[in-house]
Amino acid sequence: MLSKVVSFGLTGIEGFLTTIETDIVGGVPHFEIVGLGDVAVKEAKDRVKSAIRNSGFEYPVKHYTINLAPADIKKEGPFYDLGLAIGILSASEQIKTKKYKDFVFLGELSLDGSIKKVKGVLPILISARNLGYTKFVLPKENEEEARYIEGMQIYAFSHLKDCVAFLNDEIDHPILPVETRSFEEVSKSSINKLDFENVKGQASAKRALEIAAAGGHNVLMIGPPGSGKSMLAKCFSGILPDLTFEEALEVTKVHSIAGELDLKKGIITERPFRTPHHTATTISMTGGGNHAKPGEISLAHNGVLYLDEFPEYSRHLIETLRQPLEDGVITVARAKQTITYPSSFTLIASMNPCPCGNYGSKDRECNCSPSQIHKYLSKISGPIMDRIDIHVEVDNISYSDLNKESKEECSAEIKKRVDKAREIQLKRFKSSKTFSNSKMSVPQTKKYCQLSVECQKLMEQAFTSLKLSARAHDRILRVARTIADLEGEENILPQHIAEAISYRGLDRKYWSI
Amino acid sequence: MLDKNEKLLVLFSMCEISTKKQELLIEQLEEFSIDGLFKENVSLEILNREEYHKLCDIYDKQRFEMSLENMEKSNIKIITIFSSNYPERLRFLEDRPLILYAKGDLSLLDKLSIAIVGTRMPSNYGKIVTEKFAGDLANNGFVIISGLCYGVDAIAHRKTLDVGGKTIAVVGSGFQNIYPATNTSLANEIAQKGLLLSEYYPSFKPKRYTFPRRNRIVAGLSDGVLIPEAGLKSGTIHTKDFALEYGKDVFAIPGNISSTKSDLPNVLIKSAQAECTLSADDIIKYYGVEKEAKKERFLSLNMDEQVIVNLLTQGEKDFDYLAEKSKIPVNILNSCLTTLEIRGLIRKLPGKNFALV
Repeated sequence: MLSKVVSFGLTGIEGFLTTIETDIVGGVPHFEIVGLGDVAVKEAKDRVKSAIRNSGFEYPVKHYTINLAPADIKKEGPFYDLGLAIGILSASEQIKTKKYKDFVFLGELSLDGSIKKVKGVLPILISARNLGYTKFVLPKENEEEARYIEGMQIYAFSHLKDCVAFLNDEIDHPILPVETRSFEEVSKSSINKLDFENVKGQASAKRALEIAAAGGHNVLMIGPPGSGKSMLAKCFSGILPDLTFEEALEVTKVHSIAGELDLKKGIITERPFRTPHHTATTISMTGGGNHAKPGEISLAHNGVLYLDEFPEYSRHLIETLRQPLEDGVITVARAKQTITYPSSFTLIASMNPCPCGNYGSKDRECNCSPSQIHKYLSKISGPIMDRIDIHVEVDNISYSDLNKESKEECSAEIKKRVDKAREIQLKRFKSSKTFSNSKMSVPQTKKYCQLSVECQKLMEQAFTSLKLSARAHDRILRVARTIADLEGEENILPQHIAEAISYRGLDRKYWSI
Repeated sequence: MLDKNEKLLVLFSMCEISTKKQELLIEQLEEFSIDGLFKENVSLEILNREEYHKLCDIYDKQRFEMSLENMEKSNIKIITIFSSNYPERLRFLEDRPLILYAKGDLSLLDKLSIAIVGTRMPSNYGKIVTEKFAGDLANNGFVIISGLCYGVDAIAHRKTLDVGGKTIAVVGSGFQNIYPATNTSLANEIAQKGLLLSEYYPSFKPKRYTFPRRNRIVAGLSDGVLIPEAGLKSGTIHTKDFALEYGKDVFAIPGNISSTKSDLPNVLIKSAQAECTLSADDIIKYYGVEKEAKKERFLSLNMDEQVIVNLLTQGEKDFDYLAEKSKIPVNILNSCLTTLEIRGLIRKLPGKNFALV
């Protein structure tokens, strides 16, 4: 007999429809899965066989041909175990109803017949919804992840036996579908992050990070070791605007595929904060590999990528950040497939000003030679520098400052201002694909950053007397636009320009000589 | 056109023959033609075998004439002890360079000049005083001489050019191998607006010993040597020694006694080898130069700016200190500081420190 079961596979972050066709005929006992499956798919044969037997069903000794259609797409992973078992059971007429035809089956089987979790459920669900599939049979463990998509009927099982009983209408009290849950509720219940309240002093760095959060600008922090760069960066995600549901779905998709999702919670409600170590390989950052997986920059999608000790990362790795920083996506091309992962993140990088770290410090002497300092600072190439809008210097704070009782502003206060500035930007870019000032294209910069005569004069003076490099020009305009937004100003004023200029430290020559 | 002796000197400098031997050779070869040089009996007395072979290897009449032409094409002027424009200040020094390669304005060689030399790694204080002195002296007509190295040297050159003054850079390498290479663009600018000087053939690569040698020219060309900041092991000591030997004035700017970078000027002041100098006026008065009228700088400041300037009169301060003491909101403070800097009243230093200029 022949049966057809619907399942889904995954390429990149998109799911694709797979039909599992099972044909059982008499003859020489044989088992064959065709349709470009990888090792995990081929091995499903043994798992499925044991799972069927150990769940109290019969596994007839016959000639099995199983086809995973479409036959031209490579299929990876253990998504199909459950679908295969259902296919075999219905082809051997142990499942009597045709109810299974309404469902999409996903799940890995264990030898004892229990259904185990799989990675990437959320992206598959989203793709399936777009194709018009709404009824799903999923592993119990993946239940939470599936709760947030409206209009879906999810039936979650932990054992093959229960699943078959359900399909045969044998269960006394009917299994209720998993209910969808509202995103707002879950996101409200989130967590205590590090708060700017706990960072003493560092007024200029805090201000710079506020601007960065408001306009989505990338930041480079320069300062001696122990000056609190990492602490500041960690507080940063607390002042970013909340994730919207759409953004949260995108983030969760990527994390689901990478298997980094907290299955109890099911969805990611905070902006991710990723801190890969500087020994990270390029592939681990960009994603890819034999079984393609999203890398760190994709896991930081809609969040923060924090690179501590920036110049210590390999040159090659830093250069690969160029495309994602510009386009918000990374395309990884391999012999087998080409995959595009989203990677729109805010980059926060920190570095010492010189190899010993003390150059420019008030209380410690730097022992580096001028050429060492020059070399160290020039490790970050121009094109990368070009993509970092804000440079801010962070210095050690003294012991007396550390113990001061003065009240520092808390993150929630700062966040209010950031949210307001973001609102203005959303309104401004309503009709375009841009979300924030930092991503303005050149024509947009021209349109939204018009300067009065006074401002132009200031810019001109600044360029001649402060020796700014040409690439700083548009950066300054964008940052000035954000500063104006923070203050609710319609037009860019001279003081906004002046402040924006102060964040172009490394374009200036005062670090060298 | 160069005469025979001058050509000989170019040839010697190509072969890196020491100044002493050059002088002896020139004396001996007075009556010979260039070819006479290659009669072993003459030159071998002075040169060792290695140097002699090098000389023979390099000397090829046609090629030699070509390289002379090339130098002329790239505007490199050759001044030798035989030429009339050889700087009089150097002529009577014991170990004078016999040949100088120059790019730029030769008339600067006879003007009133101060050499500003010091450490390669100045502190923020050192940077500020160097800038201030270089700027003020250049504004009052002094030619600023230095060695185009990192630190004090480069700051002095840079500042002089920025205020439109005249500067001479004496380098310890050939013009094609400016050391440090990062200063190459500065060197080009000096060649256009001031004077670039070297006793080494253009393709000569810098050696350890060439930098102290270069210092004797710096000291010899100047009327006085100013030391803003230098350690006790600094190469600046050579310049100071040469200056004292040649009977030039040495000026030192006192510094923090706990900073190793101010050790040399402090010690020189203590041992009365150098004049204690507190402002460019001291030097200007010393040489009896008419002073330029001082411009009033702190006019038309707004209230916030005035507060900042007042705080900075107490010395170099960092951003957090200014924010706390002035009570100005951070965003306004940031923009005020930038505006003040654009107007040239204050200066931003590494580590978000600020100081009055």
